[in-house]
Amino acid sequence: MAYRKVCRFCEKSVARIDYKDAGVLERYLTDRGKILPRRATGNCARHQRQLGTAIKRGRFLALVPYIEGYYG
Amino acid sequence: MRDYEVVYIFKSALGTEDIDARLQRYHEKILAAEGSEITAVEHWGKRQLAYPIDRNENGYYVVAQFSTEPGALPEFERLLKLDDEVLRHLVVLSEGELAVPISLGDDDEDDDRRRGKRADADSDDTAADDAGSDDDDDEDDDSDDTAADDAGSDDDDDEDDDSDDTDDDDDDDDDDSDDTADDDDDSDDEEKADVAVVDVEEDDSGADGDEDTDEEDKD
Repeated sequence: MAYRKVCRFCEKSVARIDYKDAGVLERYLTDRGKILPRRATGNCARHQRQLGTAIKRGRFLALVPYIEGYYG
Repeated sequence: MRDYEVVYIFKSALGTEDIDARLQRYHEKILAAEGSEITAVEHWGKRQLAYPIDRNENGYYVVAQFSTEPGALPEFERLLKLDDEVLRHLVVLSEGELAVPISLGDDDEDDDRRRGKRADADSDDTAADDAGSDDDDDEDDDSDDTAADDAGSDDDDDEDDDSDDTDDDDDDDDDDSDDTADDDDDSDDEEKADVAVVDVEEDDSGADGDEDTDEEDKD
């Protein structure tokens, strides 16, 4: 994830970030599964909040990991 | 009448007939409320879980959308919780059409898509990862304990909170451990800083300084 100045979701006029789209959510996680901060994603406040909610829902549904690379 | 979306994760060992029978049974509960309607049911099929749930590595995902009265949900969710064949379920207020199929079913397709998207950003990936590991504070904010609560409050929906309760517990455990680790780091630094300051005072104030340091340490 590059340092971005503009919100990618705003660029695409995304109304709601889909918590079911693991492909998108994964791009906003570190290699350990943490949520990338806004200064790294470049997201606007609204979309960063939505993204956080979406990732947390995705984690609950085992679409994205809580912790990447940890096996017991 | 509100629009909801539910995601079921069944044990992948179940046959499609079993799953269909179960879906029918659950959806009857919803339809029992007057004016309710199942608007869409989509089978994602078997998919690998991002982490094992009750030692299951795979799950059979089904997404359904429906509209019903909020009062119909507790009974519906009770049924889901009682069924041991349902690994997870999540009910949220619907955010739009299911129409756009997402790249989930086929792993190959998914991989291709990811590679394609990452190809242009590959050089930057490491930079971002570094940033992630550096900034513990921000991560804390993001991974706040109330993952599901956030979702619930956005939606103004009690049922959501209920459905996420079990999740919350998991979340809390994980996050807490992270938090304490981070907090420890921080507090250590702060304590050192405090002590340093106190030392200076001690030099100035002489014997009284000892008492001060003790109090500082307790705090």
